[in-house]
Amino acid sequence: MDFNELVLQEIPDAVVVLTPEGRIAHWTRGAEQVFGYDSMEAGGQLLHELLVPQEHHAEEARYLSLLKQAGICSYESVRRTKSGSLIHVDVSNKAIHAQDGSLDYVLSSQKDVTELKVRRDAKLLEARFRDLLECMPDGIVMSNATGHIVLANSQAQRLFGYEAHELLGLPVDCLLRDRTQEPREQREGRFKPADSNATGAGLAFHALRKDGREIPVEVSIGRVQTEEGPLLMSAIRDITERRRIELALHEKNIELKKANLAKDHFLAGMSHELRTPLNAIIGFTGTLLMRLPGPLTQDQDKQLRTIQHSAKHLLSLINDLLDLARIESGKVRLHVEAVSLSSLVNGVIDTIAPLARQKDLLVQPDVPERDIVFRTDSRAVSQILLNLINNAVKFTERGRIHVRLRELESTGTRKAVISVRDSGIGIRDEDKTRLFEAFSQVDAGSTRRYEGTGLGLYLSRKLAALLGAELSFASTYGEGSLFTLALPEHPQ
Amino acid sequence: MNSRILVIEDNPANLELMVYLLDAYGYQTMTANDGLGGLALARRERPDLIICDVHLPGLNGYGMIAILKSEPALASIPVIAVTALAMVGDREKLLTAGFDGYISKPVEPERFVGVIEQFLRSSHAGASEPGRAPHFPQ
Repeated sequence: MDFNELVLQEIPDAVVVLTPEGRIAHWTRGAEQVFGYDSMEAGGQLLHELLVPQEHHAEEARYLSLLKQAGICSYESVRRTKSGSLIHVDVSNKAIHAQDGSLDYVLSSQKDVTELKVRRDAKLLEARFRDLLECMPDGIVMSNATGHIVLANSQAQRLFGYEAHELLGLPVDCLLRDRTQEPREQREGRFKPADSNATGAGLAFHALRKDGREIPVEVSIGRVQTEEGPLLMSAIRDITERRRIELALHEKNIELKKANLAKDHFLAGMSHELRTPLNAIIGFTGTLLMRLPGPLTQDQDKQLRTIQHSAKHLLSLINDLLDLARIESGKVRLHVEAVSLSSLVNGVIDTIAPLARQKDLLVQPDVPERDIVFRTDSRAVSQILLNLINNAVKFTERGRIHVRLRELESTGTRKAVISVRDSGIGIRDEDKTRLFEAFSQVDAGSTRRYEGTGLGLYLSRKLAALLGAELSFASTYGEGSLFTLALPEHPQ
Repeated sequence: MNSRILVIEDNPANLELMVYLLDAYGYQTMTANDGLGGLALARRERPDLIICDVHLPGLNGYGMIAILKSEPALASIPVIAVTALAMVGDREKLLTAGFDGYISKPVEPERFVGVIEQFLRSSHAGASEPGRAPHFPQ
């Protein structure tokens, strides 16, 4: 029995012979078992390129020069196997010299001490950190340089469904899956303290429990330096509940959007539906009053006028209410374009003209020579102006209504001012605060003389807000009122 | 000879109103309840003016005007839209689509015929005299 051969081939530790440059000259079966490469793959390779992780290269170089000086060198280090996993090794190197004293070979014996290291680290951490970590609400898992778990608190044990002793030595990779599907190499590096990207807060992972279940977790990873080397501490929080709530919220949001859409469709349809019957009422009371079917008695005439008047009032109520509903639901979108404000003012005055003529009132425009063209929503501005002039006509018995358009001097955004001045009844001080409220009519009550929905100014103010404009007023009871719309140009 | 006017409207009360007013002023009216019926009638009868509700079931006003203006025999007939929308932007939309004018709903009976007559006078087909409304002592 060749015991030399036996020992060399059967020894479980890795025994390697290296050239002075570090190339592998001989590779035992033990080396095969520890590192995974066979002698064909390993032969001729530079050992530090094959087995030593990048971050340990400098270290290795230092130990080599130490060996050349002292002849022997023993140390602990980290190696990467053929499969890519990291192991802790206990290295014992001896320099073999030729007869002339020069370095002939390096004999290197490398023992896999990964398990041993885990137990050593665990013992250290147990003593030092156990009590503290038991107090934490989250599951805490500490792993060492090779990515193996060296400590897990009871919260972590519960979270993952393992006993304490089962977790010890387990690679952290087995517990946490990154659902963003990183390639294997990146995942390998994830839980190694050497990896600069290892640490982080609020990272999303899935925890792989012993029973196969996966739960969503949030992980914060930090690096801890100890005398046994760097460690990673992962704080793991079960966010199953949070995800459930997020999902529920998301679904509720979708529901809300659908409901809103349904409401808008309803409003649009209702608008058409509500106005349709009024066509017939206003239309045929009109034809009757025109005496097209025949003559009318005085009473018939009077009563028909009452019907028509009510129908028209109802129509304006419906229009106002639907405008209101649209504005309140935030569904009014501005259609911004270049608008000639002078044309707009004149247009609105033309619309009001018949009404003013009925009361023998004059609505006088005052627009500048040069047209003011503004980026704004002409419908909204028209509506506000219509409301203001309507009010002025309504509450004025005699005299004039002045509608003035000016552009203000300004360095920044352009601003236009449209004001409506009347010589009407004015507004009492105590009524001034209620002026812009919905459904508030200044002379509300059974003796109300002035018709209206009570929504005009309320709507106008809402529209003004949408435009970024300001609607203000000044009034003296018995003398008249001045309403002013300060309109900025809409940004591009 | 009095002008012949085609009214296309699906709501019976609205249709009745417009026809009544036009008849009262001496115009000859023909009616349809939907776009397709209106088109058939227009092709067959070649009216002097078409009044068309924008909001029709099936082929709506916008569909109608596109077809009317694309057929050479019908393209010169003035087409007036009757519409419940009457907001600033909508007016442009109708005119761009090809309508020669529009009337907003609810129809104002006192003004309806006057507006229609404007379009009759301005079209080359409308060389007829405007009808006179019967007057009854008040």
